[in-house]
Amino acid sequence: MVTAISFALAAGILVSLSRQLNGRLALSTSALTASFWNHAVGFAALTLLGLVIGGLWPEGALDAPWYAYFGGTIGVIFVASGSWLVARIGATNTALLVIGGQMVSGVVLDALRGASANTLLTALGVALIIGGMALTSRR
Amino acid sequence: MPAVPNPLDPAHLLLAFLSGGLLTLMVDFNGLVGLHGGVLYSSWVAHGTGTVAAIIFLVALHVLKPSASGTRRPAPLWAYLGGISGAVTVMLTSASVNTALALSGTLALGLAGQVAFSLASDRWGLFGLPRRILRPRNGLAILMIVGGSLLIIFGNG
Repeated sequence: MVTAISFALAAGILVSLSRQLNGRLALSTSALTASFWNHAVGFAALTLLGLVIGGLWPEGALDAPWYAYFGGTIGVIFVASGSWLVARIGATNTALLVIGGQMVSGVVLDALRGASANTLLTALGVALIIGGMALTSRR
Repeated sequence: MPAVPNPLDPAHLLLAFLSGGLLTLMVDFNGLVGLHGGVLYSSWVAHGTGTVAAIIFLVALHVLKPSASGTRRPAPLWAYLGGISGAVTVMLTSASVNTALALSGTLALGLAGQVAFSLASDRWGLFGLPRRILRPRNGLAILMIVGGSLLIIFGNG
């Protein structure tokens, strides 16, 4: 359990570390260039890992719907946007607003799919997030 | 680096919020690929197709607006390692999701890790980015956004 907790915490730390590094690279190049290197370096590392442990070309991999393969392209825009923002609104504001946007859009996506949720808690959560954003944007 | 006192641009905050929607779509799509090919394949493909997409975007932008070159100081080599950090994240979360923490616990602890590291980054201007001084009302805003997120995470878990 301690291992699992430290894994989950470390994953969060690495998300912010990655944005900080890409943000620094964007200062010297551009947000899109930083996003390119993020994906190219990650691809090289994952290729090496896959060659060592296997699993780069699993059985049935291409059965996923075609549009799912646009996840990487969406990621390029997401990483470029974060690299650009982190030098302008700071690491904490970027992290919190991205998380807020992820939560609210997740709620919307679930609702569109008709997934059941605890409506009261979810509505309260969305309200708190929007309130926190309003507080952040107040001058 | 000196602390940055300038006010936030609401358009920047809105962009950050909307990019969270992109993240939801990305996680959903990559998860769908992972369902068929596993976590390593999903992350590998996302990084590979992302590299190609980034090249296409860069070429398109360069054609539209050629940029002046050689004016900025070069980035330190460690600034190129953001992709390693991102690739390791996928491994850690996919391991953690399959424990008693499940998705809710993994998301909640990941949120805590992000906020803690971001606060430290702003406080000390880590990795060459500007230092930022947070005001008391920022603390309340953090509590509200984190609290709201936890309600959604555990309300649906």
